[in-house]
Amino acid sequence: MIATQQKVATSTTDVFGAFLSRRGFVKTGGALLVGFGLVSADGMQKTDVAASGNTLNAALPESWIELHADNTILIRVGKPDFGTGSVFTAYRQIAAEELRVPVEAIRTVISGDTDRTPDGSGAFDFLQGGMPNIRKAGAYVYQALLDLASERLGVPKDQLSVRDSIISGGGKSVSYGDLVKNQHLNLTIPVKGDVHSMFGLTVEGNPPLKPVSEYTIVGKSFRNSVTVSKVTAKETWVTDVRLPGMLHARMVHPKTLGSKLVSVGPLDKARFPNTQVVVRGNLVGVVAPTEWEAIKAAQQIAAGTKWTDWKGLPGNERLFQFLKEDADWKSTPAETSKKSNGDVASALAKPSKKLSATYQRPYLKHAPIGPTMALADVRSDGTVYVYTHTQNPQALRSGIAHMLSTSVDRVVVRTFAGPGHYGRSNGGNAGAEDEAVILSQAVGKPVRVQWMRPEDFQWSTQSSAAFSDVEIGLDAEGKMTAFQIDHYMPAMQDDRLVGAILAGLPTIPAPNEQGAVIGVRNDVHDPWIYDGTPAVLERAYGTFQIGQKSSALNVGLRDHSLRTPGQYQQNFPRELAITEAAVLAGADPLQFRIQHAREKRLIGVLESVRDASGWKPRSEPPSAVNGLKRGQGVSALFRGGSYWACVANIAVNMTSGAIKVERVTVAVDPGIVINPMQLKRQVEGGTVMGISMTLLEELRFDESGVIVNDWRSYPIATVADLPEIKVVLINRPEVGKYGQGSEAANALAASAIAGAFLDATGKPARRLPLKPDYVQALLRA
Amino acid sequence: MATILVNGVKREVQAPSDTPLLYVLRNDLELSGPQFGCGLAQCGACSVLLNGKEVRSCITPLAAVGDKEVTTLEGLPTRWAKQRGLSADQAAKTLHPVQETWIEEQAPLCGFCQNGMIIKATELLERVASPTLAEIKEAFTTSGPSPHLCRCGSYTAIIQAVQRAATRMVKRSDVL
Repeated sequence: MIATQQKVATSTTDVFGAFLSRRGFVKTGGALLVGFGLVSADGMQKTDVAASGNTLNAALPESWIELHADNTILIRVGKPDFGTGSVFTAYRQIAAEELRVPVEAIRTVISGDTDRTPDGSGAFDFLQGGMPNIRKAGAYVYQALLDLASERLGVPKDQLSVRDSIISGGGKSVSYGDLVKNQHLNLTIPVKGDVHSMFGLTVEGNPPLKPVSEYTIVGKSFRNSVTVSKVTAKETWVTDVRLPGMLHARMVHPKTLGSKLVSVGPLDKARFPNTQVVVRGNLVGVVAPTEWEAIKAAQQIAAGTKWTDWKGLPGNERLFQFLKEDADWKSTPAETSKKSNGDVASALAKPSKKLSATYQRPYLKHAPIGPTMALADVRSDGTVYVYTHTQNPQALRSGIAHMLSTSVDRVVVRTFAGPGHYGRSNGGNAGAEDEAVILSQAVGKPVRVQWMRPEDFQWSTQSSAAFSDVEIGLDAEGKMTAFQIDHYMPAMQDDRLVGAILAGLPTIPAPNEQGAVIGVRNDVHDPWIYDGTPAVLERAYGTFQIGQKSSALNVGLRDHSLRTPGQYQQNFPRELAITEAAVLAGADPLQFRIQHAREKRLIGVLESVRDASGWKPRSEPPSAVNGLKRGQGVSALFRGGSYWACVANIAVNMTSGAIKVERVTVAVDPGIVINPMQLKRQVEGGTVMGISMTLLEELRFDESGVIVNDWRSYPIATVADLPEIKVVLINRPEVGKYGQGSEAANALAASAIAGAFLDATGKPARRLPLKPDYVQALLRA
Repeated sequence: MATILVNGVKREVQAPSDTPLLYVLRNDLELSGPQFGCGLAQCGACSVLLNGKEVRSCITPLAAVGDKEVTTLEGLPTRWAKQRGLSADQAAKTLHPVQETWIEEQAPLCGFCQNGMIIKATELLERVASPTLAEIKEAFTTSGPSPHLCRCGSYTAIIQAVQRAATRMVKRSDVL
């Protein structure tokens, strides 16, 4: 790599493709600041400053990493925290490890504000294939510090060693702080990508990484730094942000998903003298000085507002018949998985035994504990500030700019802690942000839009329903000779701004054949793991959003990814079918999986979960004890570099049909375990959410829209549903990468619980949720 | 205008008497503990103690508060200090044991529901010194107008934090 002289620098050093420049002596303080230069298509040629459209500039203090003269460090990351705490725990640990500093030296983590963080992207895939940006950025900084120390101490770089921010060699030493004292140092590291895209910027190049065998910080259970503020009421939640002159708003949303506004209901001005009603197209907002006045006025207006009628949904009772018989699965080509191989048709033509079955999963809600809320301030100079809890601030920023037909430079998105919503806003918006912007622009003041509980169920996106057809062939020895699965799921990712749609303002198109993000295409999201199977065919078919094309609003059952998107829809049919095949073969379902696995990490998690759960191969069907039959079930998956296996132990009430999950054991091998305590808590949480989805959750809708509107009509798991949960973490430093934690646990429960139900009762439960009436019907059949 | 006693301090508020206490606490008094979750007393995110009893501030009108004392998440350290007769100096450095164990057990994930969880745990432990697992589960499910809901699924950590807090509070009772 050849260093190119940068015009403002007094000297420049090439650091493994990054560039360290010195801008002369400063009287007080001093720092090393890290910015980025974009890598162009033809290689490593750099621009001097930041990507266009990003307000960050490597020459300004708002940089990626700041190392100060007092040895403290600040890091900035584009991904906001969404409750897993990864930016405050794992990112700190990874950065501290590469920088060779104590975790405590990283005093500040700024995350997720578009004007204060460099790299964009969202609150998902925090570990970025095992190579999060912060790991490489830290590695570049470390090399730059070694270069500086080598020069200062007059000792060759390879003879230096570092411990806790002190560089030593040749009997001399210097601290990081002393190296940067009175200096103005800029390190420009190579990146590529689009900061406003879903995935943001990626650090390029290959700076030497700290050998995993020398790790002292990654692998320890550091606490999440924001826990203290959250339990002592010192956190600034998104719900706490107040601006001078701020007004409160409530929305009056259409009566159905296809209704147009006929007339706005009257407002009693004597009762609500300070309330304003904003109408733009089909968007109706009620704005008032106090929250309670906004709520009451909105109720009054809603009661008198008239909408056209619309019926364009099949209703949830007829959903699967509609998906099977009426939905268009042909307009977009099917995707075939990379793991598909062998002659499945021949193998299925004359098997010794064969399983053919269809599996169904309903629509689900993200169901955050707090309904969506945002505060927007459209200022008289046309700049827009949005204060919100979004997973993808840069994507929201570009969506808002698009809606207002302005440039992204005019829009700033600031993120705050808020109620987790598990994927709903990974493409930018959660629902209220654009409405707050529209209302603020209309009234010329900052406006806070808070959705009420019924709206959060009825006007937010949902996780797609899906069904899958499976065929499995077994030979005379009970071995799988062929596995075929066809997955069907409506478009999963609608990132349109619903307020923009209602107001008739620009936003991206509805998911279509061309696709905004992924369009109507479906993918095989659940990677095949049983490599000992000779013939495999996995296909995925997509279709349009249900109801969208006939809706006058161009809005149907808007879908959006929910934890392990697509994968949990597909893991349930695959894993339950594997269990059914094992039973058909007369084999133990756990041993059957091991027999068909080739990857040693997969076999490892299966053996771990077998031992930790006390799994016993079944010699005869269970008999009822006190009206209960007990069973055990197993599931496995691969996600984001991590192998997972789960055993559920359940009790089925043979009279009432109630299922009680008594014990869940989860084994995970993520490669390098970064923080055992935080990973364990994430796995426990995901397990509970998975149980909730399996036993309780189903979005009910009629021909006009969603009919669930509160926690009684859409119940989720409570403390009463909590089983004993055992988590086994398998640390494999030799893998050299960090696999994903958290959300994968969500996908494991359904297939393990349904497997346990089959074990207890001999009946396959191929449709979720496993509610008592469905279970009773299965038991009678 | 009404005067209400919040976290040991009398506060004058201008809000109409039918305003739910939640909005008074959040908007008029700028407290950030109680959260808006449903407005229907179905989730528990908005919980506060009213004379030591857990209530849902989202459906409790300001007029119903009267001269009862409201304790929010912010007021738990002072409440604990008062119960234990700690000096002002000690009190300033104190967290409620429930808050301490919530940190030690790393209970919150997104944390939005945890205000209500902590308030409910405090109510329980003031009433029952060493609750059984069944009593803890009952507190968070059937004891009030609705179960306390956590969508992130932090229930295991919550139970462990309550058990740890119970042990600590009993021990400190012996000492004091």
